[in-house]
Amino acid sequence: MNTLVVYCHPDPESFTATIREAVVETLTAGGHDVRVRDLYGEGFDPKFSAEERRSHMTPGPHESVEAHAEELHWCRHLVLVYPTWWSGQPSMLKGWMDRVWVRGVAWEMPPGGKPVKRRLTNVRRITAVTTHGSSKWVNMVEGEGGKRTVTRSLRSVCHPLARTEWLAMYGVDTSTAAQREGFLTTVGRKLAKVKK
Amino acid sequence: MSAHPCADSYSHALAVAATIGLESNGHDVTVLDLYDIGFTAAMSKDEHDAYTAKQPPLDPMVLEHADLVQQAETLVFVYPTWWSGPPAVLKGWLERVLVPGVAFTFDANGKVQPALTNVNRVVGISTYGSPWTYVKLVNDNGRRMLTRAMRLTCGRGTKSTWLGLYSIDTSGPNDRTAFLDRVEHSMAKLRSTR
Repeated sequence: MNTLVVYCHPDPESFTATIREAVVETLTAGGHDVRVRDLYGEGFDPKFSAEERRSHMTPGPHESVEAHAEELHWCRHLVLVYPTWWSGQPSMLKGWMDRVWVRGVAWEMPPGGKPVKRRLTNVRRITAVTTHGSSKWVNMVEGEGGKRTVTRSLRSVCHPLARTEWLAMYGVDTSTAAQREGFLTTVGRKLAKVKK
Repeated sequence: MSAHPCADSYSHALAVAATIGLESNGHDVTVLDLYDIGFTAAMSKDEHDAYTAKQPPLDPMVLEHADLVQQAETLVFVYPTWWSGPPAVLKGWLERVLVPGVAFTFDANGKVQPALTNVNRVVGISTYGSPWTYVKLVNDNGRRMLTRAMRLTCGRGTKSTWLGLYSIDTSGPNDRTAFLDRVEHSMAKLRSTR
């Protein structure tokens, strides 16, 4: 399956970087065609600009993110790998959504006030792999904003039957090496089941 | 905190209406227009290292904002909701300014303790392309972030106010004017004490 991995962490030696390695290794071994985007690594600009805003009625991506938009249309499986900060995606990843998932790429607005039309029907599966500093309970109280952004907001413009999978490690700040190892094993086991 | 790339946007008009309302009630208002001042959206590797080491912010602009936040009694966020949350620059503002030692501290057990006990109220003013029902269906994640994650982490007994204009893409000039009035009047009625 054409798989786009969007990875977001400022530190190449972080646990999130280790997770990305495990994700890419498992999916490649499973015979998937994997492309990786390292947003920090490529110096992605997450700020939706005034110029983009002024042309946002015109469908299509800004020229600086055309390659990102093309990849988004290429993939059947979208995998997001990032740390959860303030119960959501890091600004770098949020900016990727703001700038790449625009009109004409992710959705269309039909005339006459009709509902927004989905454009990413090629995306059949979305997987989020993330770490939370706080516990599952705290995240539940806070409303799991990051999870809902992926499983509801982003999913709403993908294939109507798109599957979502949430692979999260809670309490990573106080975790032991064995627990982190266990999470990597879980991620590997889950992604190994994804059919080609 | 205002976060819209265009100075002539409706979101900016909302920030102005909120300021007028607050000032009419005698509040001392500082506006941080994040696009206008060129605020950096993403947390850098050095900043992440400083965060992990519980060191103070490195960027002078961030330090200035941290200082303002520590003196504020009310925090007002004005932004357009995109993908159910705030624009990246505002998300980045939370990541870069509200760091350990500024907004919260860790106790001996690694548990988060609020440090912005000076903040009595968090206000969110946002525009949504989607109708209210859809916003609720996807969980209104920006609102949750500010009124739960941020409010619970940073303050004790902090109250919240949320003002939203839904279905803005199909709204008419009357809806927009009415919402500007509503924002100004709500802010004019805001009390700074608990």
